[in-house]
Amino acid sequence: MPAAVPTPMAIDSTVNSGRNSPKPAPSKIWTLNEPPFEGVKPIDTQGWAKSTEKTAIVIDFGSSTVRAGWSFDKRPRITLPPLMASYRDRRINRSFTFVGSDVFSDGTARGQSKNIYEPGSNIVNNWSVAEGVLDYVFVKLGIAGESGTIERPLVMTEPVANLGYARKTMSEILFECYGAPSVAYGIDSLFSYRYNGGRTGLVVSSSYTSTHVIPVVNSKALLSQSARLNWGRYQSAEYLLKLLKLKYPSFPGKISDPQAEDLVRDHCYISQDYENEISSYLDWTGLEDRDRIIQHPFTEQVIIQKTEEELARAAEKRKESGRRLQEQAAKMRLEKLIRKEEELAYYKQLQQKVQEATTKKETKRLLDGDEFSNEEKLDKKIKEMEKSIKKARNKDVGEEPEEAEVPVFPLLEVPDAELDEDGIKQKRQQRLQKSGYDARQRAKAEKAAEKARLEEEQRLDDEHRENHPDQWIEERQASRNLLLQRIKERDRLKADLGNRKSLANQMRMKNIANLASDTPTKKRRRGGDDDNFGADDNDWGIYRTIQKDDVSDDEEEEDLDAALKEVESQLLKFDPNFTEENTRDAETDWTKSLMHAFLRGPWPFDPESQREANQLHLNVERIRVPEVVFQPAIAGVDQAGIVEIASGILNERLADHASRADLLKDVFLTGGNTTFQGFEERLARELQAVLEAGSPLRVRRAQDASLDAWRGAARWAGEAGNTKYFVSRAEFLEKGAEYIKEHELGNGM
Amino acid sequence: MAPITQASDETNHQALLDKLDLFGIPKPFRNPNWKPPQRRNKNVKQIISDASRKEASLQVTGTNNSGSSTPLVPTTDGALTPAVAGASSNGSSGLNMAHATQRLDRLVLERNQQAASLAVPGAAALPQSMTVTYTNIESAPSMHPSSQRRYCDVTGLSAPYTDPKTRLRYHNMEIFALIRQMGQSSTEQYLAARGAHTVLK
Repeated sequence: MPAAVPTPMAIDSTVNSGRNSPKPAPSKIWTLNEPPFEGVKPIDTQGWAKSTEKTAIVIDFGSSTVRAGWSFDKRPRITLPPLMASYRDRRINRSFTFVGSDVFSDGTARGQSKNIYEPGSNIVNNWSVAEGVLDYVFVKLGIAGESGTIERPLVMTEPVANLGYARKTMSEILFECYGAPSVAYGIDSLFSYRYNGGRTGLVVSSSYTSTHVIPVVNSKALLSQSARLNWGRYQSAEYLLKLLKLKYPSFPGKISDPQAEDLVRDHCYISQDYENEISSYLDWTGLEDRDRIIQHPFTEQVIIQKTEEELARAAEKRKESGRRLQEQAAKMRLEKLIRKEEELAYYKQLQQKVQEATTKKETKRLLDGDEFSNEEKLDKKIKEMEKSIKKARNKDVGEEPEEAEVPVFPLLEVPDAELDEDGIKQKRQQRLQKSGYDARQRAKAEKAAEKARLEEEQRLDDEHRENHPDQWIEERQASRNLLLQRIKERDRLKADLGNRKSLANQMRMKNIANLASDTPTKKRRRGGDDDNFGADDNDWGIYRTIQKDDVSDDEEEEDLDAALKEVESQLLKFDPNFTEENTRDAETDWTKSLMHAFLRGPWPFDPESQREANQLHLNVERIRVPEVVFQPAIAGVDQAGIVEIASGILNERLADHASRADLLKDVFLTGGNTTFQGFEERLARELQAVLEAGSPLRVRRAQDASLDAWRGAARWAGEAGNTKYFVSRAEFLEKGAEYIKEHELGNGM
Repeated sequence: MAPITQASDETNHQALLDKLDLFGIPKPFRNPNWKPPQRRNKNVKQIISDASRKEASLQVTGTNNSGSSTPLVPTTDGALTPAVAGASSNGSSGLNMAHATQRLDRLVLERNQQAASLAVPGAAALPQSMTVTYTNIESAPSMHPSSQRRYCDVTGLSAPYTDPKTRLRYHNMEIFALIRQMGQSSTEQYLAARGAHTVLK
């Protein structure tokens, strides 16, 4: 892309300035995902036809995804996010219900969609949505429901230590609304562990809304020894969104929650050595590989690109019209000149006539005819005309007007008494002319003197430099530091004035109040009513200080910057220790800015470009976000990280347990939030560090961290021996809605 | 009523919605007389406060298993004794201080149970599983010194400094200059991301 390509000049200047050289244009730019609409899903009646009254419907009722299928299936037949949008369109007077990814097909539906679960928890909060999702599942599974019930047993997953109320309400719905013949509940991560052949081990399940660590001994979960960390992919995505909002406060686009989840999944990874990796994450070398650019959709402002030919034509046109104008002006000037010359000829003729005239009366008649009071007036007029004609001619030819001779003011020397009224008038005029002329002369002299002074100063400075080079450099350095200090102060003052509570602003308000009040409260030094305001010229500066956006500020700013540039150029020339690197420009160069690397990566940023304004750069976030599972304190979660939890279970709670060694040999990872690259290795390394040396530790991952829970549940449901763990409808009616039967993979009471 | 994906445009959007709409599809498996109870949507906070009240009453009666579940019969075929019983029978008292310190109420509960089991000699043989509740499996605050590590609130890099005015942690001078230019609201947002913001109640 053109914006990121460094110009040859930029490269040249980097060679001697020590600035970091810009990187070549980014090789890949990622995009945000579309709303995850999956299209129309058909009703699947094949499973229903194959099923018998004994075949269970298996539903993994997860907080990120609900998966459903038959117990004989290898994979779930239906997969959907736990969302429902149910609303009435008043314009067409019709109710709509969209479930799962269908809510992403339509703008209104997406806006109306609600989640089953309370945001960030694994507890069902909206039971109408839960019913809607179950309706969808049963419809898509092709349940005939001729008897008014679903006619099949159900296996559902539920969170570890599910709250009684949640289970009770769910059972009520399953038994009373859907008429389920029997229902069994189990824990998703334990199903996954069993599916992966585990018997004794430590299950680490990090899923959508929470992370659990559960020790399992001899296929039986020790739930009393398990622990939950309230962090999962949902919280990660939320945290990423929060960070991005702070990083780009004026970002024009909006990132939706599913998009943020995709960003976490696609770009984040677990750092193997967080401390070290993060400290060098924004370093210049290799930043282009660590930095990921996400392009938000945008509309570029259309700049009509003109072709070379068009540009040339436009320039030609401009030139042409300019020439025509010039020609016209010249023609007009010429006409005027001719007219003037004609007039001049006429007046000269008149002059001659006047001179030839014999009688005074004749002269007066001639002069009156052209409204001249006397002969001098006519002479003057002729002189003026000659001058203007000469000037006009010069202009056309381009001649410099010759140096005017020093004008003489003869009347000034003559005393008033010797002059008549007319003479006095002329004298006054001459005096004015003389003062104007003198002023011009003075200015000219002053200019020359200033020039001489500067030359002298320069000479002295050069002399000084040649005689005492060290001292000279020192002085220049001092003046440079002074300038830098002043620039800094100016910037600070500017920033302070923006803050209403700053000292600068408070002083300003005080001054304004003081000026406005009739009785100034300012204490006077020596009494008396006269405050001497204005006696000192600096007094008037008060009006400058109370003015907020000072116009003269800009001038001063220019001055300071220009002065600094001047001093720096001198230093560059004469101080061998002062190089391009030390200049303020180089020190404030964007390639050295940490914030620039953080916000825009190793590439220049053009604030005008809509494309770049709509780009997000993920760099530190890529390891900062998933790190929270290991260090929850980063995101302000007041809980121990998973390594500390696991070590607490292994080294303290189960320190003397007979199966402790077996637990270590099978640390099992499941759940969507463990699929980050590097999760296994990091956990193994950190766990090894908290165990005694030489402990046999093995960390493994589920074959499919997301799907295995459902598969395990389906396998469990299909085993004949497990039917005794189902709660039948009769038992529900007899023993209450919260009643469950304990089994190895479920919650106990 | 606006298409937001490539799947449909203005012309076929309504047809797509008609296909997706679940409202009009017959659901014969539903009980037509089913009336959901009023106000059944409760948030976690409400449910937990209700549950803890119930828990407290259970503690007074001293019964762990109130008959709301059928306990799993411990398997005796393997060499291993049931795990929980094993855990409680070894050690000096069976009172696991490590996990008891996680929650005070758990400690009290465990003490009570221990006293009960000493009073009735046969009770110790029973699987003495703790009541597992949603709240008491929540992991405790970190005691490890690594949780004291400080990271820059703006960039996430290591933060050796803290600004006493805004309480933000920062990495270097450049970030500090930025912090000092920020307004109060963004400062609070940065603190909130770390959970260190001021909450007025």
